[in-house]
Amino acid sequence: MGEPTAGAKRLSGWVAAYVVATLTLYPLSPLASQALAARDSALHVLNRLAYGPRPGEVERIARMGVLRWIEQQLAPERIPNPVLARREREFKLLDYDAPDLARRYAAAVAERVRRQQASTADDTMPPRRGPVAEFRRLAGQLQQLAVTRAALSERQLQEVMADFWTNHFNVFSGKGADRFLTPSYVEETVRPHALGRFEDLLIATAKSPAMLFYLDNAQSVAPGSTPPILARGGRRRMPAGLEQRLPKGINENYARELLELHTLGVDGGYVQQDVIEVARILTGWGIARPRDGAGFEYRDWAHDQGDKLVLGVRFHGGGMEEGIRLLKLLAGHHATMHHISRKLCARFVSDEPPDGCVDDAVDAWHRSRGDIREILRAIFRSRDFWAPPALRSKVKTPLEFIVSAVRAVGADPDTTPRLAQVVARLGQPLYLQSAPTGYPETQEDWVNSGALLARMNVAVGLAGGRLPGVTVDLDRVVPVTSDYAQLVDAVSEVILGGTMSGRTRDVIGRQLSAVSDPRQARALAIGLAVGGPEFQRQ
Amino acid sequence: MSVSRRVFVKSGGLALFSLGLDPLFLGRAAYAATRLTAYPFNRPILVCLFQRGAVDGLNMIVPHGDPLYYRERPRIAVPAKEVIDLDGQFGLHPALAPLKPLWDARALAAIHAVGSPDATRSHFDAQDYMETGTPGVKATPDGWLNRYCRHDREHADTPFRAVAFGPQLPRILAGSAPALAIDDLQAFGLRVPQEAARDRLTHAFEELYEGSATGLLATSSQEGFEAVQMLKRVNPTRYAPANGAEYPRGRLGRSLLQIAQLIKADVGVQIAFADVGGWDTHVNQGASEGQLAARLGELGQGLAAFARDLGERMRDVVVLTMSEFGRTVRENGNSGTDHGHATAMLVMGGPVNGGRVLGRWPGLDPANRFEGRDVAITTDFRDLFGEVLARHLGAADLSTVFPGHSVDPTKFPGAIRA
Repeated sequence: MGEPTAGAKRLSGWVAAYVVATLTLYPLSPLASQALAARDSALHVLNRLAYGPRPGEVERIARMGVLRWIEQQLAPERIPNPVLARREREFKLLDYDAPDLARRYAAAVAERVRRQQASTADDTMPPRRGPVAEFRRLAGQLQQLAVTRAALSERQLQEVMADFWTNHFNVFSGKGADRFLTPSYVEETVRPHALGRFEDLLIATAKSPAMLFYLDNAQSVAPGSTPPILARGGRRRMPAGLEQRLPKGINENYARELLELHTLGVDGGYVQQDVIEVARILTGWGIARPRDGAGFEYRDWAHDQGDKLVLGVRFHGGGMEEGIRLLKLLAGHHATMHHISRKLCARFVSDEPPDGCVDDAVDAWHRSRGDIREILRAIFRSRDFWAPPALRSKVKTPLEFIVSAVRAVGADPDTTPRLAQVVARLGQPLYLQSAPTGYPETQEDWVNSGALLARMNVAVGLAGGRLPGVTVDLDRVVPVTSDYAQLVDAVSEVILGGTMSGRTRDVIGRQLSAVSDPRQARALAIGLAVGGPEFQRQ
Repeated sequence: MSVSRRVFVKSGGLALFSLGLDPLFLGRAAYAATRLTAYPFNRPILVCLFQRGAVDGLNMIVPHGDPLYYRERPRIAVPAKEVIDLDGQFGLHPALAPLKPLWDARALAAIHAVGSPDATRSHFDAQDYMETGTPGVKATPDGWLNRYCRHDREHADTPFRAVAFGPQLPRILAGSAPALAIDDLQAFGLRVPQEAARDRLTHAFEELYEGSATGLLATSSQEGFEAVQMLKRVNPTRYAPANGAEYPRGRLGRSLLQIAQLIKADVGVQIAFADVGGWDTHVNQGASEGQLAARLGELGQGLAAFARDLGERMRDVVVLTMSEFGRTVRENGNSGTDHGHATAMLVMGGPVNGGRVLGRWPGLDPANRFEGRDVAITTDFRDLFGEVLARHLGAADLSTVFPGHSVDPTKFPGAIRA
């Protein structure tokens, strides 16, 4: 797509963007009328590549050119991000590396055991000090950090993709050791690769202690293999019962989800025997002891040395390189490209994406050998992304709803976990989806009567300055006025990018006529607009 | 009902379809037109509990009479002397002790070797199949409980007719018949302290959604506002379980308590659904005690409290548990079990043909196992669910509820008294 033409540059503001959009988005289409006005296309990309517009952003991006903004977002490392960087320094969690967290977790476990043994009358009350309390605070910070980044980062597409991949490669931070393994999973495994190569991301997740623990691969060993501690005659020193609990065979859990969810897809053409063979290949991929840092550890003693056959490809018995070869095979498999391209299109285009954009993404995957930026660029250039059926076709997930509302009114989230708890109450507790599928993407999964009422409550709370975890200064975005027609205009601009329907304006206008206090009127208008049907879509 | 809904119904489905309207919305609009204005009390009620993650049926309803069970599970078998014997062959896991009185009163039955004929061992697929009621068919858009609601419109008169407890509507209730998802009864509705202000705001949102929402957003919001109106009369914040029933702490206990509360409020609940997780015991699942025992303890306590709380009203209620598949006969290398095939389910309530372990037991002999490793299926889950729908709820035609499966009463496991 590249830079606007020299001629276009001479034109002013959003006229230029309109021309560029017309010329470059539909290079094959004779129907220029299909192209969107600059403000509409700015709103569309802010809804999809970002968590919705902040005050003034639709105008700004329409002026600079939507395509230029997309290119900027595809190169996040070049976007200055000082506000978020400052805020991140307040998250203690980011000062701790994996061994630090392991130590804190071990202390929390020890404290819990002590408390259970002491079993006092007040043991139902969670402690407010000490390792358990500190660990719980860190877990809350992890969730809040995700919400804060989504709300404040200038690198919006990177945040959207970080969310997409942590959800695609879901781990459940509520499962045992994943309580302390999830922070480094997010920081070191997923985020650095969010716009990198799919193969690197896949290998990073396969080697991550969080995933190895979540889907039990760390427990999967070749049948009959002997841990060194037993081989050295450590059996006598072993506490009673521990030997019985040592792994004794393969565990298929990760192997199955790797094929079904992470790569090929459920219709990707593998059978149960492939699952078993993949599990055999990955025997030995485990986690070091917490006191050794709890990092990735390949244990040759646990590795199945036999030959394996996966999807018709033979793997001679070797070591860890078998697994790397397998992951590369899966990452470049056509079924994987199709499965993940479709999933990306379901996120960016529509719940049931047309074949056209999926094919464009698969082509880009082939050409670029799995460069995520190129795949995304192809989707954002595809005709389906800009076609009228895609616009406003998607219902926001709870995270998207909360963050877009916070951004729309220019609210500032604090570092307490309270805003993340609101997202959780709407049905999407971050890093706490126990099923390996991650959270669903389609409207059928999120729209129901109870959930809509909950969203209306959040909207009214936010507009009234009562939403926990954020500070709102409405004066900066919608000035107080007793001219209610003007008020509704301003609310339409801020909340809906100026697209509020006539019927919504009528309903809000009628409600306002019964309110004499202009401050109350403003809160009511914003509450209704954020809780209303149009803001649920993106 | 809004004017637009009537217009939609009158002008017929096909014409509207060609206008590009959401078919799900159409179905719901057409459906809403048939609502009655009053509903009868004392009608049969079905409560479904989904044990997500695949419960180990062999450690829930233990085949303690089978030596192979002990041979295959040296580390995790429930010792025979700790099993609560039911019929000499099977017994309850000790953590399910609170259910024994219900068994003795013939209000509880178990079905063994039940499950999906599809061979998948994927949680995701198997749950999907059990909820859509179409094993092997992924394209089914709706759930079987929803199709039942559509098929049997006689009761289509209250927003509480079909209720799922949780923040999202599960697949089993997804579809064109209205169904309600309630995360917490006490917090359902707009939270504005003053009643007049709350009513005004509710009305404003109602108008907004009537005016500008389309598709699922419109129908879901309308169902929500109707429910809010009805709940106003119930006052869910003041509820004390009857007969000294004590629900376990946690989500399951809370869901069951709120289901009991809704049933007793006579708001027209016919179908209630809740799910309970934590059954995917790949590692250290434990025997009489441990991980699985803790989950079963919560389940047993919850069901017993529910039955006690409802008391006489259990006469009209059936509780049915389900899980996507069972687990391997042989324990794995981690003192756990991997994904298997058939499992066991429980049926509880007044209409239940209780005090029996139903279904044909295929045994644990490797020659009789599914793919040589898992308990084989002798009861298709659709025959059990179909029996409950037909004999308890009085469903007349199951062919639309379970398309592609010929429901044959001679295959019913006999869970409901004829």
